[in-house]
Amino acid sequence: MPQSPTSSYNPALSGNSQSATSRSYPNGNPVLGYNPVGARNTDSAVPLHGAGPVVHDYACEEAAAGSLSFRWTYGSNVAATNRDPRVQVVQYNEDTFVMRQNVCVHWEAPFTYLLFGNDGALLIDTGATANASHYPLRETVDAIVTRWGQARGRTSVPLTVALTSAEDIAQNQGLVQFAGRPDTMIVPKPLELMKLHYGVSASWPSGSGHIDLGDRVIEVIPTPGSHKDGVSFYDPYCDFLFTGDLLFPGRINISNDRDFVASLERLTAFAARNPVKWLLGGHIDMMFLPGKYYPRFRNFKPYERVLEMTPDLIGEALHHAREIAGKETMLIRPDFVLFNGVSPDQRSQVWPEGVPNIEAPRPF
Amino acid sequence: MDRRAFISYNAAIAVTQVAGVALTTRSEAAMAATRAQDIDFKSNLPAPGSFPDRWICGSSSCMDNTDPPVHVHWYNAHTAILRQNKAYSYEAPFAPLYFGNDRVLLLDEGFTQLRNDWDLRGVVDECIDEWCARNGRDPASMELLVAFSHLHADHYAATNQFADRPRTRYMGLTHEEMVGFWGMTNFPEERVTLDLGGREILIWGSPGHVVSEFAYYDSYTQILYTGDMFYRGRCYISFWEPWFDSMTRLIEFVDTHPVTHVMGCHVEISKDGEDYPYGVTYQPDEAPVQMTLQQLREAYDYAKTITEPGIYFTGTVFLCNQTRSMTTIDVNPYRYS
Repeated sequence: MPQSPTSSYNPALSGNSQSATSRSYPNGNPVLGYNPVGARNTDSAVPLHGAGPVVHDYACEEAAAGSLSFRWTYGSNVAATNRDPRVQVVQYNEDTFVMRQNVCVHWEAPFTYLLFGNDGALLIDTGATANASHYPLRETVDAIVTRWGQARGRTSVPLTVALTSAEDIAQNQGLVQFAGRPDTMIVPKPLELMKLHYGVSASWPSGSGHIDLGDRVIEVIPTPGSHKDGVSFYDPYCDFLFTGDLLFPGRINISNDRDFVASLERLTAFAARNPVKWLLGGHIDMMFLPGKYYPRFRNFKPYERVLEMTPDLIGEALHHAREIAGKETMLIRPDFVLFNGVSPDQRSQVWPEGVPNIEAPRPF
Repeated sequence: MDRRAFISYNAAIAVTQVAGVALTTRSEAAMAATRAQDIDFKSNLPAPGSFPDRWICGSSSCMDNTDPPVHVHWYNAHTAILRQNKAYSYEAPFAPLYFGNDRVLLLDEGFTQLRNDWDLRGVVDECIDEWCARNGRDPASMELLVAFSHLHADHYAATNQFADRPRTRYMGLTHEEMVGFWGMTNFPEERVTLDLGGREILIWGSPGHVVSEFAYYDSYTQILYTGDMFYRGRCYISFWEPWFDSMTRLIEFVDTHPVTHVMGCHVEISKDGEDYPYGVTYQPDEAPVQMTLQQLREAYDYAKTITEPGIYFTGTVFLCNQTRSMTTIDVNPYRYS
């Protein structure tokens, strides 16, 4: 039976914004028109024998079109027998890639992001494992960059490697793989040098820096709180905010609650000024059951929540961060859990009001 | 036992029953031939044995782990100690396998259920075959008892792998079945003796971590197996009074019986006393599983001073008194002010 266009089911509200199998319009919705706003900028009808590099138009009225409708690899019951790819690559659109480290290589299973502009590429974060034979991030990035360069007729694609937090060992370990890579700029790790690099030495943490990829200018927003050197990145092309460990669907360890609240306030103000489609964090710990999450060190997470968060969650996080500021406690919300000054293994008997308490079946 | 032997073995039983004639097959003959040379488990005690310097303890990248799913260590010729690989389950419990003249006792079955995920049954069968070959016996003549230290899934998960194994009895998953398995009527005080055929295992109740828990003492190696109520790591004490009474029983036991080693089910602590957080899958520098009597006594003396819930370090183990869902030892390393 064809789906009725008046169906009240809203997949976006159901936390299922991209799932190919659960969309209300599996064959497309003609009511939306043939040329939605974001689509016009992803034209790749390049000439067969191009005379020069393709210059892509990154100017965009709304968020560039793209899709994350793949399931992330989620490990296996017996980690030693896992045979999933070590780095899972999902192409969001032609110039935006999301990579995930295999859960059975490292339980943190961090996400790294690769963005392309007309003058170069930006790799945000580098994963939790330095050993390239266990976690071939450099090899994967090189392959993507090479293929992207071929498609765009570019022989040289300068790469910038930046971290959402240089001190976070779940995101800085892969950095050594990029040491000595030609045509590569690694944002310096020490906090003062990093501030200097982004040009925010004087204005930290209220100012902002920029990484110009060529018609795609990534904004660097200082967001300490989970890490003292935490930054977030804003991509005006896809309207993504890459928030790293500050805000992600998981167990958020607040390392300094005053900074954390201040950073969320700045993000709120930023999101009011700029269109934000999704927040993309560094990890997933939550299950798709509201308020349920995987503990640390787990290699098998079959009930994971989706990665993307809607920008209204900044407000929710801010509200609850203010509530627990100054208290050593943890607080469970449907889409994230805040740990303030307590052990990362802390458990709570307090369940949020109005949230259904659903137990996940034990996978065996 | 392979399929051919299995079929002929059952046929042999049938023939024996119908015709009333013994020694009709090779296996029966082998059995009868070896009955004469029983192994002496009662003199020159304690039987010497050794623990490995290093157990298989996971790897930094679990999917690159090439170790076998079960580490089999022969403590001595008649005692094997099994340990699950940390890359197969973070619980990685230890599992002693005690051999007697007539029976084999397996204590604890790891935290992975399915045989195609880890073939514990196959490993145990291999151990039994190996032991039987060494001692000139027919594996089919040995009865296997599959029991566990206490009623937690990381200790009984693989029990069902033994469901279709011939000559095997396994413990049920209720308190009543567990107590009944050892024929106890006065848990936890009653101490029963399990005869493996010349080798005696003393068993008594040891509640505290959970209600349904036993302590096992092997009179041959004189190893005291204390399950999860006392092990080298975080002893999660759910019920303080029963736990303290169980400790008192252990101390009374070691006062009256020779004990070579005290052995728990897990290791969660490094050689330098550093805590390995719950769930970690790589413990490169872990402490030995065996503990001394001195360490047990120190922990008991320390426990006498404990009056409040909380986490206490005795120098050997962490006593987590009624804290399981409230507190842990680890801290957020990135905190700053």
